[in-house]
Amino acid sequence: MRLHGIAFRLASLTLVGATLILTAILGYNYTVSRSMIVSLAEERGTLLADYTAENISGVFNAIQKVMNTISFSLEDAGLTTKQVNDLGWMVLNDNPEIFGSAIAFEPYAFQSDSKYYAPYHYRSNNDILFERLGGKDYQYFYMDWYQLPRELERSVWTEPYYDKVGDSELMTTYAVPFYRMRDGHKVLKGVVTADISLSWVQKLIAGLSDRESGYVFMLSRYGTFIAHPDANLVMNETIFTRAEKLKHPQLREVGRRMVAGESDVVELKDMPVIGDSFLYFSPLLDQQWSIGVVFPKKEIMADVSRLNREVATLGILGFVVLVLLITCLASRITRPLRKLTVSAHDMASGNLEAELPVTTSKDEVGELTSAFQTMQDSIKNYITNLTETTAAKERIESELRIAHDIQMSILPKLFPAFPERKEFDIYASIEPAKEVGGDLYDFFFVDETHFCFLVGDVSGKGVPAAFFMAVTKTLLKVVAERTLDPGEVLIRVNNDLAEDNDACMFVTLFLAVMEISTGKVRYASAGHNPPLLMTKRKGVEWIPPLNELVAGVMEDTHYTTKSMTLSPGDTLFIYTDGVTEAMDSTQELYSEERLEDVMNQCQGKSAEQIIRTIDGALKDFTGGAEQSDDITMLAMQYLGTNSES
Amino acid sequence: MDIICDKRESGTLLQVSGRLDALSAATFEKDFLQVMEGGETKVVVDLADLKYISSAGLRSILASAKKARKAGCTMHFCGLKGMVQEVFQVSGLGTMFTVSATVEEAFGA
Repeated sequence: MRLHGIAFRLASLTLVGATLILTAILGYNYTVSRSMIVSLAEERGTLLADYTAENISGVFNAIQKVMNTISFSLEDAGLTTKQVNDLGWMVLNDNPEIFGSAIAFEPYAFQSDSKYYAPYHYRSNNDILFERLGGKDYQYFYMDWYQLPRELERSVWTEPYYDKVGDSELMTTYAVPFYRMRDGHKVLKGVVTADISLSWVQKLIAGLSDRESGYVFMLSRYGTFIAHPDANLVMNETIFTRAEKLKHPQLREVGRRMVAGESDVVELKDMPVIGDSFLYFSPLLDQQWSIGVVFPKKEIMADVSRLNREVATLGILGFVVLVLLITCLASRITRPLRKLTVSAHDMASGNLEAELPVTTSKDEVGELTSAFQTMQDSIKNYITNLTETTAAKERIESELRIAHDIQMSILPKLFPAFPERKEFDIYASIEPAKEVGGDLYDFFFVDETHFCFLVGDVSGKGVPAAFFMAVTKTLLKVVAERTLDPGEVLIRVNNDLAEDNDACMFVTLFLAVMEISTGKVRYASAGHNPPLLMTKRKGVEWIPPLNELVAGVMEDTHYTTKSMTLSPGDTLFIYTDGVTEAMDSTQELYSEERLEDVMNQCQGKSAEQIIRTIDGALKDFTGGAEQSDDITMLAMQYLGTNSES
Repeated sequence: MDIICDKRESGTLLQVSGRLDALSAATFEKDFLQVMEGGETKVVVDLADLKYISSAGLRSILASAKKARKAGCTMHFCGLKGMVQEVFQVSGLGTMFTVSATVEEAFGA
């Protein structure tokens, strides 16, 4: 694929777009899935904390109920010793989760002779044993389990403690005060207790901790660990001493809130072993304990990461497929375009037969190809036409060139024309505006002493004028060789030309016959512009026009013969209106005045020099503007018969 | 070249202005022929505003005059001056046609 090709650009743009979209989707997916999973984990953690708290509370509540009932029973003043003992035994017998139960009376409250009365039933090896508590060494009135409900006047769960008797089970005691009415007053009679092992709570929590990736712990009302996977912490540390050791102020703050009975989810930074974690806590209200569930953050995030890894993998796979698909598609789409480019290059290098790719598709490339096909056909047609036209034009041009050569060849071109004649110097030039023109000049000896010279200008230019010019020139030669009278020559030539001249072509003519021995010139003019005569005596002057009609228009037109005599050194300059009507680029005419001025500078110059000077001045004036008319000049300089002397 | 055609009671006036050369000669002939075909017996050509006339222009005038003569129509010229007058004079055309100084004179003649 070319680096600047459409296929490459299309593919890369699409892929860049796809990458951006993919990245956005991944980012969105990560954010959403993260918050979803976090909230799920939160829910799960909260549920677990609440559920565990409820579970434990459920058991404790049942015991509370039992013990509250017992305390009511004990308010009956008529109870016998046996009845009290039976009550104690019954509590244990009916409630397997109660390890022991004491019914402790105020001093002298049950038996006036006995300070201590506290029957205590407890389990040992599936039996229910009985013993009486109290004595000098065990003054139960001062124990927490007695003191607290007595003073607080409500039932109390004691701080957990290790049972001294058994194999060091963690216990807690529920102590309920009971009263009897005396003289209308409630008087405290004693405290009934239920000892409960917390090992099942620890087991429950340990079981939860095993099942979950995090762990569960339980705090007492003072923040002491009642249950924790790390057994060393249980009953040895509080959450506050723990926070102190870990230098974790956030943990202390959380501990304060847990002890205060709040319930929340917090993120804990840098916890030992598991790092950043989420902690969900919920209170056991009656006991003023608190359950905490800890989940390592990375565990929760592992799901998010896994999900995103999978999405990213899928995305990259999709991207690769897209790359292949687009590359394939783009190069398929641009293939005809590339083929067309090759053909177009071929065409551009001149091969008009270059084969264009065949497209059946109606898409842009198809249209382009068909446009190219049309263009190719048009160019071929055009070139064929051009070739034909050019050939035709070349043929005409070549014919015109030949015509030009023929036309020029019928005019005397060799100068000096009569080198053996010292009596006169003649020079002429002709410059057709097109290949062929309507101007003419001629000079020849009529006899030994008479020299005829003439200048003519056929109306119009080009091929028709050239034909007319050739006819005129031929006629003049034939007629002038028979007569010495210029007027007579023009009369005859005019009659011949005017006959059947439907196109109304005409020719202006100035014809002169000079007697070489004397310099006497007889001339006639058929509407020709007046020639200039340059004499040593009078300088440059115009020969007065006779104003006789141009030749070829009307038969039987009369032409007058006039005469003058040239002195040696005099020059007669005859020209066509191509000289005076030569135009510069602003269409200004050269004019008679300018011609006269230049002619004035030509005193003493030879015939050829005069014509070259005027030609030079004319070219300077037109400055390369297109020549509009044929330009013909003829200079006849009389040198005299004795010029040699 | 511009030609303004003005049909009057005693004939038609053609006012030719600009340059009458090889390019415009055909137009002049065509316009003149149109007037002729209308059966006009007198055409006055006013050349007062004509700045330049070439030999091809002269030819178109001569050709028109020839057709006019055949159709029995007379052709008058007026307003000749400057270069145009000179050409008319030198070529002898002045002697062939009736040339007047002004349009009124031409119609009066």
